[in-house]
Amino acid sequence: MRGGERLTSESAFEEIQRHYQQRDLAAREWKGNGGKVVGYFCDAVPAEIILAAGLFPIRLSGDPHGRTDVARQNVIPRFTAREDFVHSILNMLLTGEYDFLDYLVIPHTRDSIHRLYQLIAMLKDSDPSLHLPEIFFLDSIHTTFFSGGLYNRDRMLELKERLEEWSGKKITSEALSRVIAITNENKVLLKKVAALRAAEPPCVSGVEALQIIGSSMFMLKEEHNKLLKEYLDGTDKLPARNGTRLFVSGSPLDSLQLFEIIESCGATVVADDNCWGNRYSDVLIDTSLDPFEAIADRYHNRSPCSRMYPMSRRLEYCLQNVVEAKAQGVVFNVFRHDAAEIWEIPGKTKALEEKGIPSVYFRNQPYLISEPEPLKASIEELIEKIQDSQ
Amino acid sequence: MTSDRGAAQLESANAIRAYQREWLEDTRQRVKQGEPFAICNGDEFEEVFNIMDIPVIVINYWNSIIATKRMTEYYGDVLTKRGYPANYFAMGLASTIDNDPETAPWGGLPKPALIIGGTKSDTEMKVLEIWAREYGCPFFPLDFGLDAVPELPKYPPPPRWWEMMAEHWDGLIDSRRLDLRVEEEKALINFIEVTTGRKLSMAKLEQGLELLNEQEMLWGKARDLIAETIPCPVSLRDQLAVYQAQWHRGTVRGRDFIKAYYEEVKERVENGVAACPNEKLRLLWMAGTPPSWAKWAEEEYGAVCVASLFSSIPIDSYYRATINGDVMRALASRHMVLFLETPDWRLKDAKIHQCNGVVETANPSVPSFNKKLFEEAGMPLCQIPRDRDDEEVRSVLSNFIETRLLS
Repeated sequence: MRGGERLTSESAFEEIQRHYQQRDLAAREWKGNGGKVVGYFCDAVPAEIILAAGLFPIRLSGDPHGRTDVARQNVIPRFTAREDFVHSILNMLLTGEYDFLDYLVIPHTRDSIHRLYQLIAMLKDSDPSLHLPEIFFLDSIHTTFFSGGLYNRDRMLELKERLEEWSGKKITSEALSRVIAITNENKVLLKKVAALRAAEPPCVSGVEALQIIGSSMFMLKEEHNKLLKEYLDGTDKLPARNGTRLFVSGSPLDSLQLFEIIESCGATVVADDNCWGNRYSDVLIDTSLDPFEAIADRYHNRSPCSRMYPMSRRLEYCLQNVVEAKAQGVVFNVFRHDAAEIWEIPGKTKALEEKGIPSVYFRNQPYLISEPEPLKASIEELIEKIQDSQ
Repeated sequence: MTSDRGAAQLESANAIRAYQREWLEDTRQRVKQGEPFAICNGDEFEEVFNIMDIPVIVINYWNSIIATKRMTEYYGDVLTKRGYPANYFAMGLASTIDNDPETAPWGGLPKPALIIGGTKSDTEMKVLEIWAREYGCPFFPLDFGLDAVPELPKYPPPPRWWEMMAEHWDGLIDSRRLDLRVEEEKALINFIEVTTGRKLSMAKLEQGLELLNEQEMLWGKARDLIAETIPCPVSLRDQLAVYQAQWHRGTVRGRDFIKAYYEEVKERVENGVAACPNEKLRLLWMAGTPPSWAKWAEEEYGAVCVASLFSSIPIDSYYRATINGDVMRALASRHMVLFLETPDWRLKDAKIHQCNGVVETANPSVPSFNKKLFEEAGMPLCQIPRDRDDEEVRSVLSNFIETRLLS
């Protein structure tokens, strides 16, 4: 934990980077001070309610560079969506990398996350001696109709009750309102970062933005807000970035690999539609409503995840953000067996073509990009095509 | 009459085979005259369409026809050219994209009034939405299709769950999910009424559920006769061909198809007719299509596949009694849980069919969930590398039969 001094913009960013790289840093510190930690997957779990319970929420990510051998030994090697990611998470859970977790909330989102729930539950059943956190399955529907919203709201209420059990205290409306104010502020600050990234010319890179956004999910929000304000105070001095403006769409990106490759080709990822990227912060919670109901509404109507119906919302979201960010081209990246994404890409590609925006599509990608050269070549080709057309 | 080569095909099975093609042609004519037609994923909602007299094609059935016509590679290419994966579930979508009635099985499908499916997998939801867009018709998604319990690993199926399915299905389903499913199905019926102009009444729904249950009960009685009669009176090919009557459940026609089937099976049993007079060993085949090696096994060893994965589904899974007279809820429960894939259920089938052994195809990446349980129960299980009548498969089967079943 840093002291009370005010950091420079550069130092604030270094601190943000530190938390992005050492994702368990803040959670372990919290745990060391006697607090309890709740892990969760996806952007579908209301971290606000966890915070209001006085618990530390941390979004779990895999490690493309990490090992998977222990997971593969312990888990039936059955086909699963985004297998590399699933095995990475399981390996981290089984080898103690996530040993600071007291509880784990797993939402009913895409098939790979649902599979993770089943595998963790089976592992816990088959070997109670394994040090795995207590899990809560946050059921939800995949349509976005009113009746489904009511179902989701009731499941969220059950989560709230479970969090109250875990923390041993009631979650009051006042506590929720207080947290909403903090998380909304966080999202507003992240939107400022998104604006700097999409500015003409941009002064924040995609790689920097992913770290800023991602670290928000690994830290307490007040702490992140302080860092963000300190960082933003100095962004007027940041140098403008040259190069082609690209947009990234596709599978969830919990590492920097793809953005680093793209930006090493001289482009800037000016925006994205990723749950580890801009999509995390672009819908605020309505403070004019009852705080719990407002949270339930926000998560039901958040920016569309590819696991939600209808796909047309996804297409519109992508196109709108490409246009708003004045992106000159789009990179689609889909992990192996990520069926939620794979069916969307042809429609998006076609719609972009009609707008005269070229794209490149990396399909069946491994979680770890061990051979970046072919991707670089395709990106350079895309950049050349864009430059030739100007 | 039994010949050395076994009994002829069942007339009732042939009637169902013939009717399916006739049904599609008739449907095409009805659509030309302005009547609605629907596409629905299997076990999502199709009996309600039947009850409303709206012809409906079940997606997995249509895909199986495409596969039978050996067109999966062709349609896989159609999908790939569009940038989609060559996914089996999307074969129907591919036939629509291809838009070539000359090439499509049975001349292809007419334009539907709507497509119904579930959100249960990443693929299903996307494919159906794209398919509806290709046709220019609505897609109505339903949540929790065949997904009865959110925390299944935490709440494993109770022992002998199949005995609960008909009368006590409420113990196998999360009531919160079922509440929503009933609401979604009511909304869908409203939508169908507005879209097609057809009406549904509770009286019709009750009648449909009664017909459905009667059909499945008759199927169960036929299954019992097949299971208890040695030698087996009906070939597995015919047993599986009859399964197409499932797509007409909830109608008089569907019930009558299976009534005729049951009566023919009964007649065979009474007359001592055998599907394979040479029957010496009985096998359960863990698949839903007749095995490629069946003829060889019969001729070589008198080993007859008398049961399949589908043998008990009608009576163990489709039959649903109403609880507190709530027909909508009973039907919705059917759409949320059909069967629970547990080895003890399959073992029960092998036992009641008086099987000497079980054969399944091995998946090198998936250890058999069945082997341990079956072997411990004294039911030998053979894993073959694939379903093909080739030297390797024959060798594995020969070894199994000679060392485990005949020794």
